[in-house]
Amino acid sequence: MSSPELTMITVKDLHKSYNGNHLFKGISLDVKKGEVVAIIGPSGSGKSTFLRCINGLENFQKGEVIVDGIRLQAINRSNPSKEDIEVIRKIRLKVGMVFQQFNLFPHMTVLENIIEAPVHVLGIDRNIAIENALTLLRRINLENKTDSLPEDLSGGEQQRVAIVRSLAMKPEVMLFDEPTSSLDPEMVGEVLYVIKDLVGGGMTTLIVTHLMQFAREVADRVVVLDKGDIIETGLPDEIFINPKNERTKSFLSRIY
Amino acid sequence: MLKYKFYYLRVCILLGLFVFLSPNISMAQENDSALYRIQERGTLIWGADAEGGAPYIFPDPENPEKYIGFEVDLADAIAKKLGVKAVHKQNSWDGLVPALERGDFDIAMNGIEITDERKNTILFSQPYYIYTEQLVVRKDETNIKDINDLKGKKVGTMSGTVAQDILENLSGVDVKIYPTQVEPYTDLAIGRIDAVLLDLPIAAFYGKPNPELKYAGEPMGEGLYGIAIRQEDAELKVKIDEILAELIRSGELKQIYEKWGLWNEAQDKLYEQVQVKNGYTNANLEKSQRTSISTFFPALLKGAALTIFISVVSMTLAVTLGLFISLIRLYGRAPFTSLATSYIEIYRGTPLLIQLYLLYYGLPNIGISLSPWLAAFIGLGMNYAAYEAEIYRAGITAIPKGQMEAALSLGMSQKLAIKRIILPQALRISLPGITNDFIALFKDSSLVSIIAMVELTKTYNILASSTLRYFELGLITATLYFGMSYPLSLLARRLENRLKGKKGVV
Repeated sequence: MSSPELTMITVKDLHKSYNGNHLFKGISLDVKKGEVVAIIGPSGSGKSTFLRCINGLENFQKGEVIVDGIRLQAINRSNPSKEDIEVIRKIRLKVGMVFQQFNLFPHMTVLENIIEAPVHVLGIDRNIAIENALTLLRRINLENKTDSLPEDLSGGEQQRVAIVRSLAMKPEVMLFDEPTSSLDPEMVGEVLYVIKDLVGGGMTTLIVTHLMQFAREVADRVVVLDKGDIIETGLPDEIFINPKNERTKSFLSRIY
Repeated sequence: MLKYKFYYLRVCILLGLFVFLSPNISMAQENDSALYRIQERGTLIWGADAEGGAPYIFPDPENPEKYIGFEVDLADAIAKKLGVKAVHKQNSWDGLVPALERGDFDIAMNGIEITDERKNTILFSQPYYIYTEQLVVRKDETNIKDINDLKGKKVGTMSGTVAQDILENLSGVDVKIYPTQVEPYTDLAIGRIDAVLLDLPIAAFYGKPNPELKYAGEPMGEGLYGIAIRQEDAELKVKIDEILAELIRSGELKQIYEKWGLWNEAQDKLYEQVQVKNGYTNANLEKSQRTSISTFFPALLKGAALTIFISVVSMTLAVTLGLFISLIRLYGRAPFTSLATSYIEIYRGTPLLIQLYLLYYGLPNIGISLSPWLAAFIGLGMNYAAYEAEIYRAGITAIPKGQMEAALSLGMSQKLAIKRIILPQALRISLPGITNDFIALFKDSSLVSIIAMVELTKTYNILASSTLRYFELGLITATLYFGMSYPLSLLARRLENRLKGKKGVV
């Protein structure tokens, strides 16, 4: 195992149930600094829920999540203590997240979407935040859409803006929750291109995806989830060429 | 010698006590007495209902913003003797005594009959008028000759009057109670009821001039009008009694009654000398029916301005409080969410009218007395806050969950996310609904007339009942309401259309 100071994310013995459905029965995972992990598996296996537990969008009943030394334990979601709220906020400041539905703020322009959190959460000077935002927009070739509203952008453009909106907070971890699943096929490429660029820069990344080829290209490690359990984990080539677990085999055979 | 010394000591003690106590006594009297307050203020505030109030108090047909009537003259005469100005305060007749008790005015003078029951709660001055009850029927009526022929008949009167007591003590009479003195006579003329029993001055003004109506039998059931005064203001009662005695001796009171054609033999008991009965003239009512309708505009516009003011202030309160309540309901912690829900359910589940009564007439029972303004703002504002809260809630819950998740995952606190991301979107959705409610509130504001606010509807009631021009004045009043609410309606429609155009918002 890697030494502790190089570990970015630790998930330990996570238990989660909702609506009487016991989804995670003690799931654990370590992610090293700079590591890119792809999470694959059949739908309903808990991939998205697992990702959302890491930044506190989902609660869990038992176990813990540690991000860069910040420890999040099971909390009372209906009546959280001040300390719990503070821990979740600290984690979220380190972790950026990109959603399947983009979730851009429709009442704000592209630029306003990007500078919103840097200005109002980090307290960065508005002009500096705008400079940073423009740099990011140039990187994704959308500097001409600065003043557009999200509704005037294509799906692919919206998702690229959503990615740089997260990056504007200078996170140390990025979580991608099926980032291309609601895109038209011709727009998938441009989004994947941005993600690859980002991953190439050494960002610790967890990606839930249905695109096996993409997972194989970008991931350092692939985790296979089924029915709330990690059934196999390994290098992309091992998993995709020579899976050991029978359930992995049947899942992959259904996809290819 | 010893005796003399003792006497000297006693005088000293008495003198000392007198010097010590007297300023306190006189100061206490000055500060607390109603008389002192009236003189300090320079005004005698008297309560009376001008709605259907002729010949007691009603709008001058030539200048509807000014009230005239024999009680207006009497109030002026009394105030003059006190060295102050008389200021009338509008209050519904039913509510005069409670309003007097809660301190809305110094005295109430509005044909209030002196009864033992009322004497339990308030003081009465010496009588200033001796009234009789007069039965009025239709011209073609032959069966009803006096009060003994009323069995099985529908007889109208006004609520809270002595006439009502008389009728209810007769067996077999179907008593119809009206809030003001105008409607019984109109209903009688068109045959909805068979007779009306009310005080003679009322019958003389509203009944007799009507060509379809006539008096039946002689005036009966003599009674006394007195000025109502709070029980603790005994000193004021003594002063007013003195003034009334003076007005009677000097003949000034008689002059007032003669001016209004109210002088009759019955007043003999107030006066030594016997006077010739004057027929009651109804010049005022006839005059007011001839005057141009435009003479009523200033009064109606003033009422409309008050309606706008009440609506705007109440709505401001409603949208602010409503937002607060909806946020607690959606994002608050355990006990507060159910409190917010209860607030909404209770305010939506009870009539606004009852809420206003409770606020204005009910709260004084537990020692909280609100001014009519405050009661109107709070009453309307808190009621509408419940509806606005639900509109906001619909707007907030229409925002996709992903918006809050995206905001939170960017490190925003829930509070900041609500303020910066959720509310700006939710408000756009809520705006048409809120504008629609504003229109509704505009019209509901007429309910505050029950708490002594003379807004547009009340102005209409007062003017129409004194002139009987219900139709023309009603059309004008309705037009004014429409003129105020229609622009809002257009605004609401525009907002709705803009919303439909924006796919991204919902």
